Amino acid sequence: MRKHAALKKVEPYVWLLPSLLLMAVMIAVPIVTVFQLSMSEISRAGVIKGYNDFKNFKQIFASSTFWHTLRNTLVWTVSVVGFSTLIGFVIAMVLNQEFVGRKIVRAIVVFPWATSLIIQSVIWKYIINADYGSLNVILQKLGIIKSYVNWAPDAAAYFAWECWIGIFVTFPFVTFCVLSGLQSIDNAFYEAADIDGAGFWQKLGLITLPLLKPSLTVSTVLNIIYVFNSFPIIWTITKGDPADRTHTLATYLYKLSFYNGKSGQAAAVSVIGFAVLCVCASIYMILSLRAEKEDER
Amino acid sequence: MKKVIATTLALAMVLGTAPTALAEGAEKTTLNVIISQYGDHTQEWWLGENGFEGSFEAANPDIDLNIEIVSWNDLYTKVNTLISTNQAPDILNIDTFADYVADDLLMPAEEYASEELKAKILPSFWNANEMDGTVWALPILASVRALFCNQDILDAAGVAAPTTWDEVLSACEAIKAYDENIVPWSLDISTDEGQAAFSYYTWNNGGGFVDADGNWALNSAENVAAVEFMKKLIDSGYCTADPYTETRYPQQDAFAAGSLAMMLGPCNLYDIAADVNFAVSPMPTNGGNPSVQMGVCDRLMAFRNDDAPDQEARTAAITKFFDAFYDADTYAGYMVFEGFLPVTSDSAAILTESADQYTKGDGSAQGNSEYFATFCDMLNSCNFYPTAKAEWNDVKQGVINAEQQICQGSDAQETLDALQDEILALAE
Repeated sequence: MRKHAALKKVEPYVWLLPSLLLMAVMIAVPIVTVFQLSMSEISRAGVIKGYNDFKNFKQIFASSTFWHTLRNTLVWTVSVVGFSTLIGFVIAMVLNQEFVGRKIVRAIVVFPWATSLIIQSVIWKYIINADYGSLNVILQKLGIIKSYVNWAPDAAAYFAWECWIGIFVTFPFVTFCVLSGLQSIDNAFYEAADIDGAGFWQKLGLITLPLLKPSLTVSTVLNIIYVFNSFPIIWTITKGDPADRTHTLATYLYKLSFYNGKSGQAAAVSVIGFAVLCVCASIYMILSLRAEKEDER
Repeated sequence: MKKVIATTLALAMVLGTAPTALAEGAEKTTLNVIISQYGDHTQEWWLGENGFEGSFEAANPDIDLNIEIVSWNDLYTKVNTLISTNQAPDILNIDTFADYVADDLLMPAEEYASEELKAKILPSFWNANEMDGTVWALPILASVRALFCNQDILDAAGVAAPTTWDEVLSACEAIKAYDENIVPWSLDISTDEGQAAFSYYTWNNGGGFVDADGNWALNSAENVAAVEFMKKLIDSGYCTADPYTETRYPQQDAFAAGSLAMMLGPCNLYDIAADVNFAVSPMPTNGGNPSVQMGVCDRLMAFRNDDAPDQEARTAAITKFFDAFYDADTYAGYMVFEGFLPVTSDSAAILTESADQYTKGDGSAQGNSEYFATFCDMLNSCNFYPTAKAEWNDVKQGVINAEQQICQGSDAQETLDALQDEILALAE
């Protein structure tokens, strides 16, 4: 009997073992390897020559490009996550209303999210191209501009476009997270509020937003991670150029490793990115969980 | 009982095949070869019974060729991964070799190149692979960059192909005046190949990557003026609006479509722009300097393998591989197949006379002797990237970055001074 109880205690772990092993191999091993590489001297040809006294980190911290890239990463993450949450929220509110063709509009909204990021980026690159881009062609045909305009004359303009494309492809995810949250709110709350004479903003601030908090937390945390690590948009459009001014950490470490042959420094940037992301996600999770607990009280 | 029978049978099969496998392994030398992909049909030429692999193995039954074709996008990652896991190939086709020499991974070419082969490789290409007095690689093929002009547009604008930088500016102005929608000039200073633009303009202004003694001279007055000229071209609106991110490939397409008038482009533009009435001329120069064309050369190199059971047999197999590949007829066929220029004298002679006996990789046409005559001749006046210098990769990325900074408004002298200091510090 005792034997049976012991077996029962162990059994869940036995069933979990395959997933744990898989996680160890696919997640833990690469993380440990990147940490090791970040502290190693690696030749251009890929030969690992041993521990190098944090030289990779020292070189990265001494590089002005790294600090510019870190700032870009912050701007990129905050603007893309922030604006896509705002736009996604508003569109979800609209799509939650009854109107003719709602199903079709819902299907259309998902397109930017469902299409490959590379394809989206290439299309946007063609749209804004100054020599043959469709934006210029359309505006000229409409008589709004006389000659073609260079929509991305410098690094800042390029980066702004990249942020916009990031927002464009991210907002549908927020829309659908919020929409599922909205549909789970009992209509009785709004009916009660109507009886009490509450207006639109009161209902939004006192019913909708508090009840949407779990959905918004999930979408925001996931978006912070996805957007922070996002690579295809920036790489497809500028590869971090002009003069390395449009990099985020993900594209910067790729260029360091595969164009500049500095795998050790690239691993160091990867470790720094990992640390920043852990801190940001933890702060956000702690804050939102604390707020949830306070609400429960 | 069934289990016992199955185990016995399996054991018997394993034991039965083992001696054969061992015997075969002992006799054959295996060569792992990585070839970079030059076109959509590279695999067809190299692999299979009808490819180089099949004919080589039929002629050399003691050698097992294991050829893998890898695209340029994956090549560096793949090779680095193989090296870091001690699985370097025996023979590799790539563009640079200095990094492998620095890690003592390569065999000197003298160890495997037969006297016959050495004698027929064009001397400038043989010497271009020398580092610290030793030749480390063999040239596989070459390409030339020159000035391509759309003759119809130039005629309509009333200008001739420019020979000087001043003429470039006036030709661009005339083309702009003729048709505002035609882009007069091309410039690519993107991460992909911005170092090529640096070469075109600095070499034709009497500057370049290195001085007469072969030392880095990135901040010379000639180089500063050359990059400032690039900025002038951008600021005047004479080239594509996006030279920082647009590579030469869409520019080649634009030239082939007739919407770009002039381009410093590679010799294979000859085929790409077949529908356009174009002329090829030497690159325009400045300050009375002679015109210098740019040559690009990729390489084949053999890696050391200290674990090989029979070093002598391995080296002999590598020699046989190169002798077979550079065979005058085989190699000439490969050059037509891929559309590049030969680096051996006997194949060059065949191709300038009768290239039409070979077919292009896509099967669209026969080889064109006029093409080979035009560009093989240019190869003699070409300069090449200083790839044999250990700092080349840092210089390459450094000049691209400097060009982009200067064209975005940074001071040219200060930017190139900073790059020169950075590279000299690395060299120390």
